[in-house]
Amino acid sequence: MAKYYDIDDIIVEEETVSVIFQKAASGVGIDPSSSIFIETGSKVELPFWLAHELQLRQAVSVNVPPCFNQKTRQELHADSAGVDLRSRCPFFYEFGCKIAPIVGDRTIGFLLLSAFKSRYKEILTKAHSVAFAAGSKFWTILTKEEIYLYETAQSAMASFKKWRMGGPRFQIASVLGRKRKSKE
Amino acid sequence: MASSSAAEGVSMDDDYETLIATTDVELLKRAWRNEKAAPEILRYESKLVSRVNKVIQLMEEIVEEKSSGGTDPLSVSLYQMDLDRTLFLLRSYLRIRIQKIEKYVFHIQKTEELRNRLSKYEKDFAKMCENDLEQHLDESVLSKLPKDYKSVLRQSSMSEEDDMVPEPQLDAFVLCRSKEYLTGIQLEDGPVDDRSKLFEMEPGVLHFICYKSIKALVESGKIDLL
Amino acid sequence: MYGSKASQLVKEFASGEKGQLTTYNNDLIREVVAECTQHHLDFQSLIRKMQEEGLDIQTAKNADHYGALIHHLAVVRNKRCLMAYMYNRAEIIRNLLWKIGHMLPQEIKVKLCSTEEEHFKNHSKALKNYMLKVEVDLTVVTSPSSSPISFPSPSPASTHAPDMVPPKDPYIKVRVIDDIGEGILLSDDKSANFALHSMHLLKRTDAEQFIAQGKMEELKG
Repeated sequence: MAKYYDIDDIIVEEETVSVIFQKAASGVGIDPSSSIFIETGSKVELPFWLAHELQLRQAVSVNVPPCFNQKTRQELHADSAGVDLRSRCPFFYEFGCKIAPIVGDRTIGFLLLSAFKSRYKEILTKAHSVAFAAGSKFWTILTKEEIYLYETAQSAMASFKKWRMGGPRFQIASVLGRKRKSKE
Repeated sequence: MASSSAAEGVSMDDDYETLIATTDVELLKRAWRNEKAAPEILRYESKLVSRVNKVIQLMEEIVEEKSSGGTDPLSVSLYQMDLDRTLFLLRSYLRIRIQKIEKYVFHIQKTEELRNRLSKYEKDFAKMCENDLEQHLDESVLSKLPKDYKSVLRQSSMSEEDDMVPEPQLDAFVLCRSKEYLTGIQLEDGPVDDRSKLFEMEPGVLHFICYKSIKALVESGKIDLL
Repeated sequence: MYGSKASQLVKEFASGEKGQLTTYNNDLIREVVAECTQHHLDFQSLIRKMQEEGLDIQTAKNADHYGALIHHLAVVRNKRCLMAYMYNRAEIIRNLLWKIGHMLPQEIKVKLCSTEEEHFKNHSKALKNYMLKVEVDLTVVTSPSSSPISFPSPSPASTHAPDMVPPKDPYIKVRVIDDIGEGILLSDDKSANFALHSMHLLKRTDAEQFIAQGKMEELKG
């Protein structure tokens, strides 16, 4: 697994999904509240990493998570750039790619692509034109992937400006942190 | 202080001219750019590096000679500058390689083909690196886990292959340029129906392309990465 | 929920600013390791139960089999989180060698566990060993007068302080922004008075390390 040590990948797989057990399982206490014996047909909330492995062995079937439901689709359709995807799932796209083959819903792929395309345009324009304060509303609705994109676009622009205008090229090692504010 | 424009105004000795004209430094710049942009480690340019080392020595002798011979300090500093830039290239080239080894040490150590791309000293370094990291992970985590889960390469003894080893992403996109007309490049990305189509490259035209598709051409020196 | 402590560990790592370390969380690691041991015990007891019932553990797919499977998967997941935590921290720790040299600053030392400190030392040794052989110094040197590596041959190529940024001008203008101390010898064997806030035109190679340590800043133009 090329991404074994990938922190983001691990966090994506912590997303919970609801599954229906196709087989019974004994001697487990996934949740302190749940019983030791899971009957066939019980509906349980599981983290993705567990649901996925169990699904591979036909022990559970996985339901489409709520962040890809009809309501989200309609909202994305109406005003894709304004939808708060982060609160639905911080790694909306990565999670979507992982969940789509498992739930066997072919429309998720199209949903991800069209959402990404239209939001991408918006993000790039904003990254190159306005500087948003860390707390502004625009920030809070972006997914993690979109924030990385935004940051990349901004730093590319900053590097370009620096290259054109000149400026200090030597910097303090980032690991030491900012000891004092630079006087701009 | 303008550096390059001033350099042209200073009259240079013939031996220095010929030194500049040797393309080894230029070749190193190319190897450095390729190494910088390629996701995986490339073959070590051992002959080139040893030639560049000789060039550096020569340049150092010139600087030494000039600075003791009472030459104008400005021109000495320009010679020094040129030397510094070559040294930077060499150091940066070696540094990028060492950092790639650090990052993919388990993958390189278990892949014969990749290990053979390293210089002798890089091989020694990779070995030490692997031992250190293994020891560190073993002492802090692996030794404390149940017996079937102690491997640093496999998630558990039930895994059928080494499923813990991080590898470089060969399907990453790179910027590249061909020196000659190339044809018959098989694209490894995009929609499945497009993949059978062969791709061609005009010389000098920039392309943004999946590294896997041009990997062999980078290795044979037909395509340069940027 | 299974694996939630382990994922808390990973999230803690992710919460730190990029390239920065959080303090090593010994307690949480111990708890996750204990969880692994417990899962493995549960796994073994379910397998044993199947064996006592005379079932073939390779092929029988009863409720105990799936229970055991879940425990196994939980250990695998916990291991991944523990390993990712250590591995990614180790990467940052090794990168310190490139950024600030072979000496660990106290402010970082306090965030490490003992094997991490050991790893830093071992890796520093491996790197020094390599640089000694190729006779080129690739890392930031902590101080020009007490270079951590002494090369056997006095080759001028190796006595320069290494450069992380491509050289453009031989000299750069800097301002001192922290106490540097006295008696700093520059590469041309002259010493200078680096009083706080004073400005100097220095050889790029001399200034680079002080800037990386946050003791000087480069001035524009």
